[in-house]
Amino acid sequence: MADGSVVLSVEDISITYTTQRGIVQAVSNVSFDLHAGETLALIGESGCGKSTIVLGLIGLLPKTGKITTGKVTYRRRDGRLIDVLGLNKEQMRQFLWNECSMVFQGALNSLNPVLKISSMIYDTARAHGMRADEAKKRALSLFEKVRLDPLRVFNSYPHELSGGMRQRVLLATALLLRPQVVIMDEPTTAVDILTQRSIIKVLKQLREELNFSVIFISHDLAVAAEIADTVATMYAGEIIEKGPVSEVFYRPRHAYTLGLLEAAPRLSTGAEELMSIPGSPPDLIDPPKGCKFHMRCRFVTDECKTTKPPLQASSPT
Amino acid sequence: MSASADVRAVLSEKSLVQRLSSGTRGTVRALLRNKAGFLGFLGVMFFIILTTLGPLVIPYEGDPRLDRLRPGARSLFAPPSVEHPLGLDVKGRDVLSHIVHGGGPLILTALEAGILTTIVAVALGAAAGLLGGFIDQIISAASNFILTIPQFPLLLVLATIVTFDNRLGMALLLAVLNWPTLMRAVRAQVMSLKSRDYVEAAFALDLGLWHITTREVLPNMISYIVVNMIFTIRSAMYFIIALMFLGLVPLTEPDWGMMIFIGKQQGSLSNPEAAWMLLAPVLAIALFQLSLVLFTRSLEEVFNPRLRQGV
Amino acid sequence: MRKLIRSYTFRTVVQGLITIWAVMTFTFFLIRLMPGNPAQIKIDEYVDRYGMSEDQARQQVATLFNYDPDQPVFEQYVDYLSDLVRFDLGRSLTSTETPVAEQILRFLPWTLFSVGLALLVAFSLGVLVGLAMAYWRGGLLDNVMTVFASVIYAIPDYIIALLLIMVAGVQLKLIPVGELYGGSTQGIEPGFTVEYILDLLKHAFLPVFTYVLATIGGWMLTMKSSTISTLGEDYITVARARGLPERRLLTAYVGRNAMLPLMTRLAISIGFVVGGSAIIETLFLYPGLGRNLVLAIGLRDYTTMQGIFLVIAISVVVSNILADLLYGWLDPRVRLGGDKGTE
Ligand SMILES: Nc1ncnc2c1ncn2[C@@H]1O[C@H](COP(=O)(O)OP(=O)(O)O)[C@@H](O)[C@H]1O
Ligand SMILES: [Mg+2]
Repeated sequence: MADGSVVLSVEDISITYTTQRGIVQAVSNVSFDLHAGETLALIGESGCGKSTIVLGLIGLLPKTGKITTGKVTYRRRDGRLIDVLGLNKEQMRQFLWNECSMVFQGALNSLNPVLKISSMIYDTARAHGMRADEAKKRALSLFEKVRLDPLRVFNSYPHELSGGMRQRVLLATALLLRPQVVIMDEPTTAVDILTQRSIIKVLKQLREELNFSVIFISHDLAVAAEIADTVATMYAGEIIEKGPVSEVFYRPRHAYTLGLLEAAPRLSTGAEELMSIPGSPPDLIDPPKGCKFHMRCRFVTDECKTTKPPLQASSPT
Repeated sequence: MSASADVRAVLSEKSLVQRLSSGTRGTVRALLRNKAGFLGFLGVMFFIILTTLGPLVIPYEGDPRLDRLRPGARSLFAPPSVEHPLGLDVKGRDVLSHIVHGGGPLILTALEAGILTTIVAVALGAAAGLLGGFIDQIISAASNFILTIPQFPLLLVLATIVTFDNRLGMALLLAVLNWPTLMRAVRAQVMSLKSRDYVEAAFALDLGLWHITTREVLPNMISYIVVNMIFTIRSAMYFIIALMFLGLVPLTEPDWGMMIFIGKQQGSLSNPEAAWMLLAPVLAIALFQLSLVLFTRSLEEVFNPRLRQGV
Repeated sequence: MRKLIRSYTFRTVVQGLITIWAVMTFTFFLIRLMPGNPAQIKIDEYVDRYGMSEDQARQQVATLFNYDPDQPVFEQYVDYLSDLVRFDLGRSLTSTETPVAEQILRFLPWTLFSVGLALLVAFSLGVLVGLAMAYWRGGLLDNVMTVFASVIYAIPDYIIALLLIMVAGVQLKLIPVGELYGGSTQGIEPGFTVEYILDLLKHAFLPVFTYVLATIGGWMLTMKSSTISTLGEDYITVARARGLPERRLLTAYVGRNAMLPLMTRLAISIGFVVGGSAIIETLFLYPGLGRNLVLAIGLRDYTTMQGIFLVIAISVVVSNILADLLYGWLDPRVRLGGDKGTE
């Protein structure tokens, strides 16, 4: 980790799942750095391995999942470096939420139905040695920041809250212990467009005030473009293109990114000519050679079938 | 999409019988896949062969065999030997012959009870679901009522009222007590199907209740129905034996339940010598019931196409 | 809101009363459809046993109890009902005029004690083991216990009881079966003494052990499958990501949610306590209500049968209400007064 501002450095990580049909190569040799205060968007079609990467980072892969190669280094606030994949169970438990928290996709099912929000907050605080009264104070102020009615929400059961409210509760809870990194896996997918907008707004504000880094997973380019500093495009388990948001979105260099951009409904033009990329992603049990996208690529050459050709700038039409 | 196109699509679908027979090899494979289930299948097969072919080989011993009293022995009981693999009972009769001859009536009655229950439940469930209204209310109320009263005490009373000169009476009685669960499931399935376009269309095309029930409802539920039937057979057997056990039904030999009743009457429960006369039917019943339960696992795989394709 | 709650409770109670009345009426007429009547059975007994003539026996029996077989059934029903609203269950027709209520009070505690204890043991053990089976799925415990539970679940309770007596008792002599029959040892002074309580437990051992074996497999398997589906819920993964310790996860997150569907079943099975105990109590000569019912049926003791059926109906209805309340208490989503409270 050369750069002092890098909080989280992922190097050459690969993850497989063992299934009855064979070994799924869900993530192949992915590397990226996350800087302090940076928001990195991971985008790509569903099934390309976005969730798998982040679950691997925080040690929550299902039993069938396995990290086969790679190294993840985390820099604490005091400057100490942590080898995340080398943590034992208890160390990982403490690492979670203190240093790196996560907001999951299914807001509706992310809260234990039989416990009040307050119990969830207290549970989380107690697990990491935060005092109850401090936890309550912090939770109430965070609820305020995400524009919830703090006391009412604090004393509610999950089923008494709407989907958008629950997602905000989760967002606030993620910040309870002041982590440096917050991972968000499709946080706006399950909510309606208005809620989506307000959550994005709240997130931007919080980021400014509290200054944490975000890994923002999405298949919605418009949302990613709005919130991210850096964008990484994933396809079939690989990061195929990565760069500042302005470059990737305005001068995509990979045909897949270009395809994604064309498929996205453009807010400015009114989303009439929606193009989608023909074909479907390759089978990850037996991935193709060369560039994994070549079967669906309109710029395909013979070279693509055996090697990965260098990226070339283009402009979206 | 027009409703009539849907109806045509549904009608051209393979019928249940075709679907089941089309994949004999698949069926066998599904049967073999679940080890416990296959064990259950073998167990059920064993008892069926034992009780159907066994009587052809092993003659029945109904009369007391005082001639078998060994010199110096206090009773006719005898442990297993070469001539009598399961020993002799309190009257000196071959226990194996009673096991072989005494399973058939019991299993048949239970089977009849299972089939009757299924027919009654499907018929009432389809009627309640398709006709709705008053008929539905009556049927549902009756099922609630039966589910409220614990079955066994009710059966104790009913069993003395209905006399059993034939098996069918007993089977019918058990069906009366057992139909509500399956009826509810069928009714719910019918209700959910009814709300779909193509069934309404089938109604419109006057394809009738019979058609809807046999073509739509049953194929969708076949796995549930068959498993439910096995469980009904199992519980019918449980009840029949329990009634014999308490001496509340007219007692006829040979029968596994009777073997236990006589054994118990003769005080052989506390007599170590009598173990075989009791242990044989007790184990037969335990193993048969166990086989039935395990067998349902295989049946689920055979009938449930989702389980069959998946994993 | 208050009105709603009150009307919900009200409706539940009324429904329960109607159910009890319906069961009562149904069994009243059903019982009288049974072949033979208590007087005739007593008469037959005198003729058989003491060699009396039919007339002698008839006179003898008439002095013994005041059942008139010639009274119209509907009149009997009206009499019974009018007694019942005064909480009078009548007198036993065979046990020389003992009030039925007294009889029930004498036998019911035995059944409640033995079956209740068994239910408690089987449920708590079954839930714990089932939870562990699912949590360490595929492990040794899971594999062994799944086989055990499937086997024990499939075998009828009285077959388990017979095997206990024959194998563990008579053959292996592990259990002194002979000493354990009955409810308590004769001659021991009933009271709140250590000796008496130990004796009660000793005598309850066989029926309780049988009930536990017969039902624990079901609890284990249900809890296992319920836990497996709970473990797949998002909120478990999310809680794990928050770094909660395993113990807290296992209790408040996995255990509590997985147990919800079982609590209803538990409450409902309480309602089947009395009915379910008839054979086992008969087999172990345990002086409970189930055995009493079997005896009463044999003697056609109408009033006693009627009283026991009433107890059965009441316990079923009460346990159903209990199940509702319990579920509402454990699952905030269906809590009374909530938006789904009236469902
Ligand atoms: N538990 C699992 N077992 C086997 N394969 C899995 C499992 N979870 C995900 N996969 C496979 O791994 C790939 C990546 O999945 P995922 O990370 O969930 O994608 P994304 O989050 O981008 O939609 C997919 O092909 C998916 O089928
Ligand atoms: Mg995902």
